[in-house]
Amino acid sequence: MKPAPLDYAAPTSLTEAVTLLSDGDRDCIVIAGGQSLMPMLNMRLARPDLLVDLSRIADLDYIRDDGATLAIGAMTTKRAVEHSAVVAERQPLLHAATCLVGHPQIRNRGTVGGSLAHADPAAEYPAVAVATDSEMRVLGPAGERRIGAADFFVGYLTTALAPGEVIVEVIVPVLGAGTGWGLAEFSRRHGDFAIAGAAVTVELDSDRCCSQVRIVLFGVAATPVRLAQVEDLLRGEAPEGDFYRRAGEAVSEALDQPLSDVQASADYRRHLAGVLSRRGLAEAVGRAAERAGRSRP
Amino acid sequence: MAIEIPNRLEDLPVEELRWVGRHVRRREDPSLLTGRTEFIDDVVLPGMLHCAILRSPFPHARITGIDATQAEAAPGVTAVVTGADAQLWCNPARTAPEGWGTLCLATDKVRYVGEPVAAVAASSRYLAEDALELIEVDYEPLDPVVDPFAAMDPESPLVIEDKGTNVMLQRVFTWGEVDRALAEAAQVFTESFRWNRLGANPTETFGAVCAWDPLTLDLTVHGSIQSPSSFGLGRAADLGIPSNKVNVKSHPHGGSFGGKGGARGATIACLLSRKADGKPVKWIEDRTEYLTAGGSQAWDRHYEASLAVDEDARVTALAVTLVDDLGATGEGFGAISAAKPLAAFTGPYTIPVARYDLTLVATNKVPASPYRGMGPPPHFFVLEQMMDIAARGLAIDPAEFRRRNFIPPDQFPYTIPSGNEYDSGSYEEVLDSALDLAGYEELRKLQAEARTEGRIVGVGVASAIEPGVFDWNAYAIVGMPQTGVPEGATVSVDITGMITVRVGFALEGQGQYTLVSQLVADYFAVEMDAVRVVQLDTQSAPPSFGPGGSRLGVAISGAVLGACRRLAEKLAAVAAGLLRAEPDEIELRDGRFRVKGRPGSEMGVAQLAGTMLARSDLLPPDIDPRPEATHVWTAPGRTAADEEGRAKSYLTAAQAVHVVMVEIDPDTGFVEIVKYALADDCGTRLNPVVVEGQTEGSVAQGIGAALFEEYVYDDRAQPLTTTFMDYLTPTVNDVPALDKAVVVTPSPFTPLGAKGCGEGAIHTTPAAVMCAVNDALAPLGVMAREVPASPHRVWELLRRSEGPS
Amino acid sequence: MSKAQIHVTVNGTVYEAAVEPRLTLADFLRGDLNLTGTHVGCEHGVCGACTVLVDGRAVRSCLMLAVQADGREIATVESLAASDGRLHPIQEAFAEEHGLQCGFCTPGFLLAVHELLDHNPDPTEELIRDVLGGQLCRCTGYQSILRAVHLAAAKVRAVRTADAHA
Repeated sequence: MKPAPLDYAAPTSLTEAVTLLSDGDRDCIVIAGGQSLMPMLNMRLARPDLLVDLSRIADLDYIRDDGATLAIGAMTTKRAVEHSAVVAERQPLLHAATCLVGHPQIRNRGTVGGSLAHADPAAEYPAVAVATDSEMRVLGPAGERRIGAADFFVGYLTTALAPGEVIVEVIVPVLGAGTGWGLAEFSRRHGDFAIAGAAVTVELDSDRCCSQVRIVLFGVAATPVRLAQVEDLLRGEAPEGDFYRRAGEAVSEALDQPLSDVQASADYRRHLAGVLSRRGLAEAVGRAAERAGRSRP
Repeated sequence: MAIEIPNRLEDLPVEELRWVGRHVRRREDPSLLTGRTEFIDDVVLPGMLHCAILRSPFPHARITGIDATQAEAAPGVTAVVTGADAQLWCNPARTAPEGWGTLCLATDKVRYVGEPVAAVAASSRYLAEDALELIEVDYEPLDPVVDPFAAMDPESPLVIEDKGTNVMLQRVFTWGEVDRALAEAAQVFTESFRWNRLGANPTETFGAVCAWDPLTLDLTVHGSIQSPSSFGLGRAADLGIPSNKVNVKSHPHGGSFGGKGGARGATIACLLSRKADGKPVKWIEDRTEYLTAGGSQAWDRHYEASLAVDEDARVTALAVTLVDDLGATGEGFGAISAAKPLAAFTGPYTIPVARYDLTLVATNKVPASPYRGMGPPPHFFVLEQMMDIAARGLAIDPAEFRRRNFIPPDQFPYTIPSGNEYDSGSYEEVLDSALDLAGYEELRKLQAEARTEGRIVGVGVASAIEPGVFDWNAYAIVGMPQTGVPEGATVSVDITGMITVRVGFALEGQGQYTLVSQLVADYFAVEMDAVRVVQLDTQSAPPSFGPGGSRLGVAISGAVLGACRRLAEKLAAVAAGLLRAEPDEIELRDGRFRVKGRPGSEMGVAQLAGTMLARSDLLPPDIDPRPEATHVWTAPGRTAADEEGRAKSYLTAAQAVHVVMVEIDPDTGFVEIVKYALADDCGTRLNPVVVEGQTEGSVAQGIGAALFEEYVYDDRAQPLTTTFMDYLTPTVNDVPALDKAVVVTPSPFTPLGAKGCGEGAIHTTPAAVMCAVNDALAPLGVMAREVPASPHRVWELLRRSEGPS
Repeated sequence: MSKAQIHVTVNGTVYEAAVEPRLTLADFLRGDLNLTGTHVGCEHGVCGACTVLVDGRAVRSCLMLAVQADGREIATVESLAASDGRLHPIQEAFAEEHGLQCGFCTPGFLLAVHELLDHNPDPTEELIRDVLGGQLCRCTGYQSILRAVHLAAAKVRAVRTADAHA
């Protein structure tokens, strides 16, 4: 289990990286933290001609509070996110998701940009990016552009990044003052990729009804799944009585062809998606109520 | 030549034991903790090449062509071998049952995904893997044989055509009047079960460095090899060379659990070495090789069982039907795991008659191998579920039902229907210890409360036997012909009184070098540091099998104590000569050889050894002047198996009771262990901390078996669990804290009364966890018949249940 | 696939080496530097046997290329014991609590725990489990390792207190 022959470059600037990656004659892959890519290289499932390592580029490792958003450099490690007081306070959903990624020994090297670009359907970060309406700032041969998370994840391990493009920064809106969040996932063992999971945000109006609901599932399909029809259904509802049960059932019903693999059948995933959405919603509503209570005198 | 081995701790020749039976820190540890221990992948020999193996992507296909010319010309490549080379230099692998072996490299067809087809020796593993990609193999896919029941159909494709069938063995063993017992029973309970493939997965995979001289045919194998002598015999047979041409040096290995495997890979490395003019060739199996086609896949079993019970709730008969899917060949000796249950067929119970309807079937999966426990763990899973089913049917508490059927202490030694003899036991005491420790009554109260809240909570109580100190006769029914498993040790004293013990096995984690040092240090009343343990290769070591079948602690104790005794006799004869006394007037006590009744007339070990080594002229005639002695211990009184497989096989019978409480998440089917208590009795504990470590580790593997671990194949025999992301071994967060109680009933038959304890709790844990799961599910009208009880499976049960899901 | 020149500090010694870009850090440490205490168990980042410290952080050396270690400081299990053979307190604790059997996974555990206690000599049970959850051991069943880590933490704290008083 050894990588196939490859060339390696460690550019020191983004421009240089983009130039290298834009070489149409060679199959180039970006390596960031390598925690997903290296196993694929070792198993020869990935066999690029050229590996472009972003770790020598200065200034891709930062967490900046820009007020309404957090700007996180693509090469920021998950460890840095996990230990960031700013993230914990301003976007606790991202913080909670980070703590569920593997183990400290993986988070020490795994990066924010790497996870998003790898786009593993069972990973937490893509779902959180969708749930928070994050944007990827990317740089490529044609210059810089921003891609919203909703448009970024296009298929299994596939993103909207064009050839030669790299993620430079992730812009994560901070959690709204009255917004509650929930994150529920199910895996066989702590730290494993999720069999299924749900990232949820909820806002409550003055009548304690849901004015805004967002449910993003992961682990159930090739990309994170946002179920707008369920969100529509729940909006305006008071989260009481059989609200959660109905929400879970609606999620299960709305899911189109969940993944089936060695750990879970499509049916089981469909069921889990409902359960985890229900749990995530309950957490989110609880936090929304708490935050609302805190903001009221 | 029989020699008296002390059966009790107080028989050792010291006033007070300083080491044996005490919590002794392991001597192995400093080297392991600092990374100095030389594991097989650390071995570098001059001129060494690295092997990589090309494996079949098909479960069943004809090979219509192989072209390796490009690989032969690839950078760094010295040799390439294919099936043609194997045909030239190899014999088909020896197997159980006999005659189900193939060559180490596929020739006409491949029989499982991962079967070796060709191999490369190159200057690095990287280059060897590069060259593999240049080998072209033409396959013509055949229909795979996947399901063992379909495999028995005469119309089924055949895994090995020459055999004319996929049935490797089919026989019914009947021990006593089973039909009558079933007919006369007050009630008979019948149920079917499924135990899925799982395996050892030690953290270190298999590895070997093989050098086979093409001229002399001398073969040297270094490897992470559990039994060097058996491995040497296997290679000699594979390669068609006399056994004395083979020298095997085992290296400390990173765990084994019976599932180290590697025989086929090592033989391939030998062929490469021969083709590379005898250069050493290293093959380190990587994890995907291990998971895809390594030597650990065990126990792929379909069971049906019946338990007969009389009016007094005594079990009167047990009938078990097993269809065991052994995969493509018999080379992994997985069949012996189907035979071993004979050593403890009826568990700890006084079940008077039993029947075993056994079918071994070939399919296009990886050949089955042994795994810790070697077969009884699934058998006890079945037996203990049946005990619970009966207890539930009779409305008796499961602990009480077991108590009523336990073999009472006054009936030992006790012969079970399948022929083995249990040495000793105090089963009720063990049960009571476990129940007390668990707070059984309280657990039942908590369970009742939880149920009123709609929670799914269960308590399991299970008991099992751990057969210890194996003998080949236990496996006679699947074609293992021998009786007797030797373990030897040579104890020698140097001129400064320092003691060296030479043994033939490598370390793999159970602290046996520490045990050897404890025994010798107490025997001659020296510090443990004065004892050094040295491992020899097979051409110089005393006869040795090594670890396996929960034997080595007992067996090496016998060897070492026997060697100490022989050495002491020799030293006593020397002392008698020097002190002008008769040899029988000399006694060893606290390291001094004293003339009885003549105070002050005595000599020490160092003084005697020094005299022997320096002044042989002073020694009495007929004394061998070397202060050393060898003893080879074998379990006494083993008998050849009769027609029905009955034999005195395993020498000891340890027993345990585990009490487990689980709670099942009704939403996900996830089983959480909320309480785990156990009591066990493995006789005298020679180093209690090591015994405890074996218990804790085997509970974890048992939990893996019950809830997590499974080699999955799809319906076309493609393996789906080829990485550690799919094959789930327990982590720290999946194993609960354990409450442990100890009962000590020494064995009357073994050195110091110790019993085999290395395989440990894996006999009991899967049964106990599944008893708890089924106790939880019982009110819902469903039963978990399949292991592992993964969340997905449990959820399916909940979905079908009468209760809430 | 030209070789790359790297400059790494391993256990305090500076090494200059020309490596193939595809060479993993684990294979570099074991094969090129003969530091065979770092063990390879799965080569896909799950088992943790190959865990080493890179710039003080516990990482999988099978999930890093040797070229990526250029300019970094690496510590392996060989660095833990003192040059006079005295075991590190973490090693001591593992020996005292029988926190190892075959010992193959142990170097990875030691370094993961080393990083943990370096940053927090009084870790919560949850934190310990988060770290140990990333290391597979097939022998011990983890109970003795948990005991060893608690003991190691106490030892590390005692050393720090003693150092503070010195």
